Amino acid sequence: MDERKTVFTCNDQFEDMMTCIYDAWASRLGHSHVQLRTEPIGNLELFCDYRHVEKDSAKAASVVRSIQKKISMRAYMMIYRAAMSDQDDKLDAIYRFLVVGFYYGASIINYLQEPTVMRILELDRSVSNEAHSHREFIRFSNLPGDVLVSHISPKSNVLTLTAPHFADRLPSENWMIIDDTRYTAVVHPADQDYYLTTLSKKEMDHLSQLRDDPFVDLWKVFFKSIGIEQRKNPRCQRNMLPLWYRKHMTEFH
Amino acid sequence: MEILAKDFSLQEKLNILADAAKYDVACTSSGSDRRGKKGFLGNTVACGICHSFASDGRCISLLKILLTNECIFDCKYCLNRASNDRPRATFTPEEICTLVVEFYRRNYIEGLFLSSGVLKSPTYTMEQIYRTIYLLRTRYHFRGYIHVKAIPGAPEELITKVGFLADRMSVNIELPTKESLRALAPHKKPENLIKPIRQIQNGIIGHRLSIGKSPQMERSTSNRYLRHSIFEENPYQRLETRQTVPSVGKSMPPKLPKDTSFVPAGQSTQMIIGASGESDLQLLSTTQKLYQQYDLKRVFFSAYVPLNEDSALPTLDTAPPLLREHRLYQADWLLRFYGFHADELLSTDHPNFNILLDPKCDWALRHLELFPVEVNTASYAKLLRVPGIGTKSAQRIVKARKQGYLDFSHLKKIGVVLKRAKYFITCNGKMMYRIPIEENFITRQLTGEDSRQAWAIEHPQTYRQLSLFDDFHFSRGTTTEDYQKSISGQI
Repeated sequence: MDERKTVFTCNDQFEDMMTCIYDAWASRLGHSHVQLRTEPIGNLELFCDYRHVEKDSAKAASVVRSIQKKISMRAYMMIYRAAMSDQDDKLDAIYRFLVVGFYYGASIINYLQEPTVMRILELDRSVSNEAHSHREFIRFSNLPGDVLVSHISPKSNVLTLTAPHFADRLPSENWMIIDDTRYTAVVHPADQDYYLTTLSKKEMDHLSQLRDDPFVDLWKVFFKSIGIEQRKNPRCQRNMLPLWYRKHMTEFH
Repeated sequence: MEILAKDFSLQEKLNILADAAKYDVACTSSGSDRRGKKGFLGNTVACGICHSFASDGRCISLLKILLTNECIFDCKYCLNRASNDRPRATFTPEEICTLVVEFYRRNYIEGLFLSSGVLKSPTYTMEQIYRTIYLLRTRYHFRGYIHVKAIPGAPEELITKVGFLADRMSVNIELPTKESLRALAPHKKPENLIKPIRQIQNGIIGHRLSIGKSPQMERSTSNRYLRHSIFEENPYQRLETRQTVPSVGKSMPPKLPKDTSFVPAGQSTQMIIGASGESDLQLLSTTQKLYQQYDLKRVFFSAYVPLNEDSALPTLDTAPPLLREHRLYQADWLLRFYGFHADELLSTDHPNFNILLDPKCDWALRHLELFPVEVNTASYAKLLRVPGIGTKSAQRIVKARKQGYLDFSHLKKIGVVLKRAKYFITCNGKMMYRIPIEENFITRQLTGEDSRQAWAIEHPQTYRQLSLFDDFHFSRGTTTEDYQKSISGQI
């Protein structure tokens, strides 16, 4: 028997991942003989064939449709969020989840005994939590012309998960959220729909310049005076607001 | 002080009035769900959003400020009492609106928490508050969260008008008994405190009925599986509500958009812990009564921070009773989400919480006859009573066990805290280890694990891990003898 494994690799984008799942499934190598990874691949394994998969919208759409139809919309949302994770095993975890998911149908998300289901839940939870934290901790700075610009460096790719919240909240403002690590941005012109775009290094630098803003100082004053000295508790503060979020937060500069 | 007041800049005012407001605990932005709208600024999210955490670890969700820190009252515990010599400042409504809108745009805050000292009279103060939030909602098109204090003694009509604009209103009871209120807040009358609470409650009921909702505020959805929660078994359930529904339309302010609401996030209040001599039982019974009788959404506890020197108060060097506050919050959660009643947790011969154990463990140890509970068959209500199982893990257990049996490794993945739960549960009839169900044994095991945590809560600033090298001073200076020894090879 041939014990060689085939590793299907693709770019770290949702459509690419769905195409990758399609190709791995359609390769008819058997679920135990395939593995799925997103690029970049750090360490190459021995005795493995690596196959790069290019994005194909039609294939991706058919996978998405199957998930929504044969499992459920809720499972699809979970998979989408899990796919935004920064964990190496996410794509493979999604594939394993789909293998059991297509068998059991909509009830699959309650099979917490099943390790593959639990893994997707964990990925989903950690990405959702990070997205929620960014909804809380994103700070906009006001550029001339009343444009609000925010920089974040999230671990997971949370841009598309946070944008709808701000689109509802600030419908008549010009704002953008920039992912500093992935060079992507969500741009929302006032009273219009937002869109996702990539930025060049030059544009990034231009948007990173600090401007004078009286409300920054006012906010810092407020932040300082609202804490009660007698109850000072940096440990609790770190638990609730981990240090790595503070890089982009006005009050900690 | 009056003379200085005019010279303060906005920044100085903010400093003074945020500093004066910080002892108010409530900073939640939950309970109200309102979508955004084109041309307006903001929305509200039911779960609430914290935007930052201050140096004391408390969340900053709202711009928590006083309209003014001038006050004609002289409550003994309060920083802003009339007899204190402090810089006094007052915001104009426009200043507040600008701050809220500009902070909100930058995602610093979720909305406004507006409280105030009593300036001139309760009526005058409430008018100023009304003007501020009216401006904010109309001219500044603000749709975010607004939490307003109702000033006791303000006219009914004014409070109703504010209710149509605010998401949450609150009246601070501060002290749970009439006696302590008389001793520490001589200007406040218990009737005066209850009156606005009752009135807002009537307003909420009236409005809820008029839009086709049940008169009671929504509670956590999982509470519907708890038949004996304080909300279901409510001796104060007011049958008379239907007769006393006030006519809401009468005092409705003009020019309101169609989606009118009246205090959609309900009311809250706060009580000071440790300024007067109440027991935990008194505090918790009052809390339960407030939930049942006045349908409050939240009761907050505030560990008393000594600010004033007074013979009726604890001395200035008293540390705030943080652990006691923590225990009360734990018990408050047990009331609201776990189906406990105050008299189950505490009784007259056991009036205070155990310092070493959390209230649920403490209760479980006194009711060992109910344990162990079989995870695969026990009802949701029974699961919730097991220490180490919370609402989320109980819900997950109920869902997952429909698909197949659960064992301890599954429970761990599901999020059950086994270090507590293992004494109280079985999986398929087996306990995790051979554990005697014996009060003394389990108490010893649990207190060992919990006491370190309890100590950390009580001493937030001093807590750190013991280090072998820093704390025991094992190293001593090297002597010439050592050098000689090291040369000759003895060391």
